[in-house]
Amino acid sequence: MSSSSTAVGEMKFGDHLCLPYDNDAERYAVLLAYIRDGLRSQHKIVYLAGERRPDETLARLVRATSDPDQAAVLTGAAETGQLAIRPVVEATGRFDPGESPALLGMEIERALAQGYAGARITGETSFTLRGRFDEFEDRCQVTFGAPGVRAMAVCQYDRRWFDDAQLRRLEERHDGRVGVNAVYADDVLTITPLYTPPGLRLAGAIDESTLSAVQRALREVGGRGSHLCLDLSALEFCDMEGLRVLTRASQSGTGIDRQVVLRGVPGYLGLMMRIYGWEGMPGVFVEEAVR
Amino acid sequence: MNGLQGYTPGTETKGERGILLHRALMYGSEHDFADVAVPYLREGVKAGDAVVVITSGARTALLRERLGAEPAARIEFIGQSDWFKGPMQALADYYDRTHRDWWPRGRLRLLTEPVWTGRTPLEVQEWKRHEAILNVAFAGTPSTFVCAYDTSALDPHIIVDAAHTHPELVDIEGVRVSEHFVDPAEFYAGCNAPPLIPPPAGAARRAFASGELPGLRAFLSTESMRHGLPEGRVLPFVLAVNEVATNIIRRGGGTGAVWLWTEGDELICDVADPGRPMEDHFLGYLRPRPHQPGSAAMWAVRLLCHIVEIRSGDNGVLVRMHLKLPRPPRTPDHRP
Repeated sequence: MSSSSTAVGEMKFGDHLCLPYDNDAERYAVLLAYIRDGLRSQHKIVYLAGERRPDETLARLVRATSDPDQAAVLTGAAETGQLAIRPVVEATGRFDPGESPALLGMEIERALAQGYAGARITGETSFTLRGRFDEFEDRCQVTFGAPGVRAMAVCQYDRRWFDDAQLRRLEERHDGRVGVNAVYADDVLTITPLYTPPGLRLAGAIDESTLSAVQRALREVGGRGSHLCLDLSALEFCDMEGLRVLTRASQSGTGIDRQVVLRGVPGYLGLMMRIYGWEGMPGVFVEEAVR
Repeated sequence: MNGLQGYTPGTETKGERGILLHRALMYGSEHDFADVAVPYLREGVKAGDAVVVITSGARTALLRERLGAEPAARIEFIGQSDWFKGPMQALADYYDRTHRDWWPRGRLRLLTEPVWTGRTPLEVQEWKRHEAILNVAFAGTPSTFVCAYDTSALDPHIIVDAAHTHPELVDIEGVRVSEHFVDPAEFYAGCNAPPLIPPPAGAARRAFASGELPGLRAFLSTESMRHGLPEGRVLPFVLAVNEVATNIIRRGGGTGAVWLWTEGDELICDVADPGRPMEDHFLGYLRPRPHQPGSAAMWAVRLLCHIVEIRSGDNGVLVRMHLKLPRPPRTPDHRP
């Protein structure tokens, strides 16, 4: 699994990204951020849903957010039409890879005519399953790649429905993948959530300037379960305090001990753990990086 | 004959399991060496101790011959040059092997012959300090360290300091208390007494404060490679300097500076904290325990470097790290 993806918060007009997901936590973390950013920017959200009844789709989105304020915002936007949920079958009548992108073009035009600053499209796997999605996505690339287009799209793909070769072909028909927003990012360190297994990916450097961000992120993932995976494969530097915090992440703030897996531990960190005698910390399993 | 009046090796293993014995074996000839060493080792084998010999190939051959095959087979012989690479590495290796291999078998009975020839004056100084630290690092452990000194070959100051750093002396006359033994903390302080010569005018310099360590690390990487440090050793070096700098930011004066230069076959890096002195009580020499962080950072710094010197006083702290370069540096020495 490669890590190169565009954070949903970084998306801009013209982007046509795919969201291959294998769990709903990751999927909705991206989608809810995508919709929230759109609503704030006065974009119209066009959601092509698998269900026939839009209220079911809305209920699903509302359930996915833990934030009551955002739930209210979603419901309100659905009422005003800023969040337009279109059952795929109703939107297109049938799935025609030649015709559907044209309908998307009309949706974008309509959004702009309604006075919105732009359009954010997202569609669920089910509609692409019904047809020749390769052709559909190729046409979408043309639609969203047009100069000056004031729209963007996120295509949701349930990984379980596709084999690796199909997923690769799909990804090639997009500008890339969209991923969750980092929980922390500066010039030195980026921390992004992991969902399968739950945890954090730390990329860059942990030093005196970024240690408190690491501690905060570890505290905040505390409630997410009995296992925690820390992907360190892109951690280029980590000082002693940082290593101490990582090797003690099994002791969560809530007092409930959790099993921590340190994944992709770079060679220098293995060396430092040996020097400090921090190998075999209880509750910590170390997977050294493959060289 | 064993010539060991007053030396009763059979008794030291009984009821004294937690007592460290640290003795300098003074010998003037190979014959004298063997006369003291062979009974000492034989007694250990007989008592079921973990018996370990760290000496030269020639001494090993002599001991094997004099001991006989059967006792020798129960002794672990370690090559002198394999063990005494650096004073800090040897200390860490002692910690590792005693805990992992030796003490689980019983009392450790060690015979070593440290290497003194071919050392720089600084290295000789640090190996003397190493002998003083053994008294503290292994205090209260079931260990006997007998360190052999060839009085006919070594510089007199090495023999004099052996009497300062070993609580007991042993020779063919027997064991006696070293009257010149110096409290290890005092010996340690004495090693830190001479001031360090300031960096040469051409040394690369960079100041740092909180939030500036990423830039400092980039500077250290570039400069150390430019001075000939192999790529694979750059990150350990940067880790070491970063720890010292972090300590200055967190617990010291808050800001500092580094200087980097080469001298002979060494890369030298100074880290200075003009703001605040630092307590140096065997700082970084005693192995950190998992639940007692203490001076863990400085332990790592020492292990990541060849030799680390610390000077602390009213003018703040200076930490000088020495790293061995694999070959003469490509850039000329800046020292005038």
